[in-house]
Amino acid sequence: MSGKILIVDDSALSRRTLRRILESAGYEVVEADDGMAALEVYFLEKPRLVLLDLVMKGMYGLDVLVKLREMDQEARVVVASADIQSSTRKLVDEAGALGLITKPFISEQVIAVVEAALEERSHS
Amino acid sequence: MKITERQSDALSELINIAFARTGAALSELTGHRVVLNPPEVAIYRTEELRGALAKFVPGDVASIHQVFHGAVAGDALLILNYSGAVQLTDLLTDGHNPSNYLDESAREVLTEVGNILLNACLGMFGNLLNVHVTFSVPRLHLETLDELIANTTTDKTEMHYALVVYTAFQLRDSSVKGFLVIVLSVASLDRLIQEVDAWEGQQGG
Repeated sequence: MSGKILIVDDSALSRRTLRRILESAGYEVVEADDGMAALEVYFLEKPRLVLLDLVMKGMYGLDVLVKLREMDQEARVVVASADIQSSTRKLVDEAGALGLITKPFISEQVIAVVEAALEERSHS
Repeated sequence: MKITERQSDALSELINIAFARTGAALSELTGHRVVLNPPEVAIYRTEELRGALAKFVPGDVASIHQVFHGAVAGDALLILNYSGAVQLTDLLTDGHNPSNYLDESAREVLTEVGNILLNACLGMFGNLLNVHVTFSVPRLHLETLDELIANTTTDKTEMHYALVVYTAFQLRDSSVKGFLVIVLSVASLDRLIQEVDAWEGQQGG
């Protein structure tokens, strides 16, 4: 599997961890450390998938998701968050994300969710 | 505010379950088995908090602070003594950053670790009690206990309580002692106890 993935997280540790996992699986990675930067990088880089943190300085992750969808209705987003609440998973599903990865990241889980999201042909 | 022995037992068990998730998260982060001592739970009025913690964490402390909102709202703090914070960071970076102080990189690592541990614990609370909470961006503070307690965001005009969970993380051959402190208003603590009562009533039935 290959393709460009945008990591959006205000934690450099989380970005480094995801970058290592994704690059070792053959993906190209671009990064943004907040929601506004994410929108700019998405516009410029046209990634196949966005891994999006929820709690960040500035814009909340689900607000970033809405903005991304306004820019590109086909934007594929997986949420990557420390929030393990079932109610959060429901909110993420309702917002149209293709999956949820919880921190701390486990390589196999990240790759499985990313591959499943990339294989989704279309979504509403 | 008094809680009954039965409520205290239920709260302790809930925290045990939540801490198991926290320990698992720490183990996944470090790649090492983590042994958590059984957590001890106590409730203090916030003005009693300093005295309760001071004997365990004299001097400066490192804390990761997150405000949470929802049906139960308050401040969540993971508190480590300074040397424990340095030790934990060293373990998390596999000894690549051995020093006696927390540099920028170490602080960043510690902040994210605190975020993950606080979410693991409070998120499990939320799941078990069917209460949704939203979290603020985590912040790392290096300060004295007095400054730390003064910096919680709760409304100072309202009486607040602190739910304190004492524990010690044992990683490899080291022992890092830490505290999880949840500062709640009377209303939030009351709601929490109600939810704990409801949860306790559902167990084993």
